[in-house]
Amino acid sequence: MDKDDKHFSGGKRYRNKDITVYWKPSACVHASYCYRELIEVFDPSRRPWVDMEGSTTEKIIEVVNLCPTDALSWKYNDEEKNEDVRADQYNHVKFRRPELMQANNEANETAPVSVKVMIDGPIVIKGDFDMINGSNRKEVRDGLISICRCGVSDHQPFCDGRHRKTGFNG
Amino acid sequence: MEEKINKAQAVVEIIEFGPLKITGKFILKDLKRNKEESPDEIWLCRCGKSNDKPYCDGSHKK
Repeated sequence: MDKDDKHFSGGKRYRNKDITVYWKPSACVHASYCYRELIEVFDPSRRPWVDMEGSTTEKIIEVVNLCPTDALSWKYNDEEKNEDVRADQYNHVKFRRPELMQANNEANETAPVSVKVMIDGPIVIKGDFDMINGSNRKEVRDGLISICRCGVSDHQPFCDGRHRKTGFNG
Repeated sequence: MEEKINKAQAVVEIIEFGPLKITGKFILKDLKRNKEESPDEIWLCRCGKSNDKPYCDGSHKK
């Protein structure tokens, strides 16, 4: 499941690099401002129905502010910016859903580590993890490593691409 | 501003002359066999000899 579309205690949330948009389905009265103004982002026929890459942050904020209920609200990912938001930003969580101003820890919760077994290739590991190799322990943050699966790499434990030459099947 | 350091979600361990052990919070996607799972602990073959790929089956000892 995409981390941007996960359930949390307050409904659903969707993020881009600047802001998080919260959706509370039970509050929606289908006034339809969101998809009439910005179908690229808010498309009820799509799953997930909110695509945060569909427009600019400024435009998304503008349209979320049109929602007449607290079904849609938003806040900056940079918590310091949320303190200074003015009242003309109608649907900022500070005014609509103040309980979410404290939801920092949940919003910043990091994604699980991604481990991909490549076709006839290495294991690619991505994210925040600790790597232990003999007596050496390394903290890898937002990192990417590629571990040999065929046994013939000259750069163990990492992949050096030799599986292609040896025709590794696995 | 307080500096935020992410906590490790998982621990990846290279077992000498053995498999790759992964524990913690992770999602394993096997593109070859088109499978996805999120176990708490897993041992993946690094020698290429396992008959149960991507998992280790102890074949590296033979």
